[in-house]
Amino acid sequence: MTDDVILQVKDLRAYFKLDEGLLKAVDGVSFDLRKGETLGIVGESGSGKSVTNLAIMKLIPSPPGHIAGGEVVFMGDDILKMPDDGIRKIRGNKISMIFQDPMTCLNPFLKISTQMIETIVLHQGLDKAAAKEKAIEMLKLAGIPAPEKRIDQYPHQFSGGMRQRVMIAMALSCEPEILIADEPTTALDVTIQAQILELINELSERLGTAVILITHSLGVVAGMCDSICVMYAGRIVERGTADEIFSDPKHPYTQGLIKSVPRLDKVSTQRLYSIPGQPPNVINLPDCCPFFPRCERAMDVCKTKYPKVAELGDKRTVACWLYGEGK
Amino acid sequence: MPLNDKNNDRATNEFNQYVKPVSLWADAWKRLRRNKMAVLGMWIVGIYMVVTFGAALLPFKSYTEQEMLHINLPPSFKPAGVVALGRLEERKADLEEAIVKSGRPDLKQDLERIENEIVQLKGEIDTDPKHKRVYILGTDYLGRDMLARTIYGGQISIMIGLIGTLTAAMIGIVLGSLGGYLGGWIDNLIGRFVDLMYSLPYMLVVIIIMSMLPTGSNSIFVLYIAIAMISWLTISRVVRGQIISLKNSEFVEAARSMGAGSGRIIFRHLLPNSLGIIIIYSTLQFPSFIMNESFLSFLGLGVSAPRASWGTLVSEGVQGMQLYPWRLLVPAVAMTVFLFAMNFLGDGLRDALDPQSKNRN
Repeated sequence: MTDDVILQVKDLRAYFKLDEGLLKAVDGVSFDLRKGETLGIVGESGSGKSVTNLAIMKLIPSPPGHIAGGEVVFMGDDILKMPDDGIRKIRGNKISMIFQDPMTCLNPFLKISTQMIETIVLHQGLDKAAAKEKAIEMLKLAGIPAPEKRIDQYPHQFSGGMRQRVMIAMALSCEPEILIADEPTTALDVTIQAQILELINELSERLGTAVILITHSLGVVAGMCDSICVMYAGRIVERGTADEIFSDPKHPYTQGLIKSVPRLDKVSTQRLYSIPGQPPNVINLPDCCPFFPRCERAMDVCKTKYPKVAELGDKRTVACWLYGEGK
Repeated sequence: MPLNDKNNDRATNEFNQYVKPVSLWADAWKRLRRNKMAVLGMWIVGIYMVVTFGAALLPFKSYTEQEMLHINLPPSFKPAGVVALGRLEERKADLEEAIVKSGRPDLKQDLERIENEIVQLKGEIDTDPKHKRVYILGTDYLGRDMLARTIYGGQISIMIGLIGTLTAAMIGIVLGSLGGYLGGWIDNLIGRFVDLMYSLPYMLVVIIIMSMLPTGSNSIFVLYIAIAMISWLTISRVVRGQIISLKNSEFVEAARSMGAGSGRIIFRHLLPNSLGIIIIYSTLQFPSFIMNESFLSFLGLGVSAPRASWGTLVSEGVQGMQLYPWRLLVPAVAMTVFLFAMNFLGDGLRDALDPQSKNRN
């Protein structure tokens, strides 16, 4: 089982030194990614989802940010210990990223062809003509009609959904091992969202790419992911397969999240549930369970100590005093 | 439904008609062409460039040749000999009248000299080809053709504008993008140096630099250096600001996630995106270089004789402006028209390259 794990994140910590204090954006996150697996990372805004993935690529803006500890083992090497040159060979080539807002992620001054060909030439060592052919092929796979004509256009001539397709084509053009999709559908309308997710799914299956899908939409992870990490205040509070998380959520936060999604299959006359309160400010957070002020089942111990991570089965963990030895 | 299903593909194609790629530059060009004043400015600037830099190939008279019989001739389409003779005879008549009225004998010497000149001119007028010349814009106090002097003066003035703008843009871009991209103490150092230079009076610094650098035959070169050393300040600040706002933009982050290095990010992503504003600033700065050079030349710190710039021509013209107004008007009008054209062009470029003014139709 372990030999097809391609990315292993161990106790990753990314801190930001701000004037107000130390912001622990990611505080001890661990997970494994297997070949071809789709992993969802869910959480509220500011829970550290995006920073986790920037840290994996060592793209944390520094200063003010720095990686305070942990390992990111990709194909046997720790990315965090690599020199910049080595990381640049991985970025875009072995691990690539799709960003949230396709409107701003393409350089408005360069043709699509220039931007795609550059990446392919840089990483794959193809000549320009071959790279262009490859780029056209990828655009076609990503569902861009008439790619041989569209490729010579500028980003402003594409709609939002089309640009996200271009981004996906670009990200997958070097056939990476891992695709990190950071809220790839947030900026798109609902019908396009479904198409884009379908596209990511289909292409990753075809190319055998593992996907890390960052989102705050539970609906998206339910349909897409094999396994799910739920993040809260910079830590993973619950981890498991999609089935386990949705059918049997353990952590009160996960339970709250799932309860607060409107269901079409259940007629209800009640108001939609919402978790009371606001996510905590993670600057100078004390060593307690960060969720206890909002938790319906909070106990005294929650206020004094962060819970130990309880192993409930294979790859199934939860960080809550209700489980494991603290129970 | 799979996305690249054949039917789906065809259906999408019908809605996605092919649009010809238009680069942002082509788009800006289209908007520039719609601005009539900018187009006019562009034509005028173009004509100035062709005439001044092609002056050696065009049939103009020499700008250094002095002709004592042709001093201070007014603009005329008649041959120089005829104009000069007419003027000498006028003065002879004036003098004769003055002698009769005042009875001053000392004026007789002047009369004699003028009579001699008339005799000399009458003897040469049909044989010497120089008296067949036509000075359509008159001559200056040494009998040099004003047209040729204005054109060659323009050559130097425009060169100063061009070289000053290019040097300022170069230094400004390099230091501005360095400070903006790297940040930290380098940015601080450059920023404080710029502040320091800003706080000194511009003209004073230029004059000090000019007097410090070794002068001599290369005074134009010294002038270039002096002006360029001061004028990169604004551009470097503008570029720095642009780079800082762009370096945090998502497409730069995306490029970095694709494995692009610093060099590629600066030259491929940051600079092209700030090029518009650099061009605008440079075009608008161009006239101010010419103005500065004229000012320095006017103070006698500019180009040395026999070369001339518009500034030195104006300053020479001022000395006789009541008697010989064309000596002032010709270079002054030439310079004003050019500066107007440059400013219109700069304004047009600003409107055309401004990403906010997307008045496409």
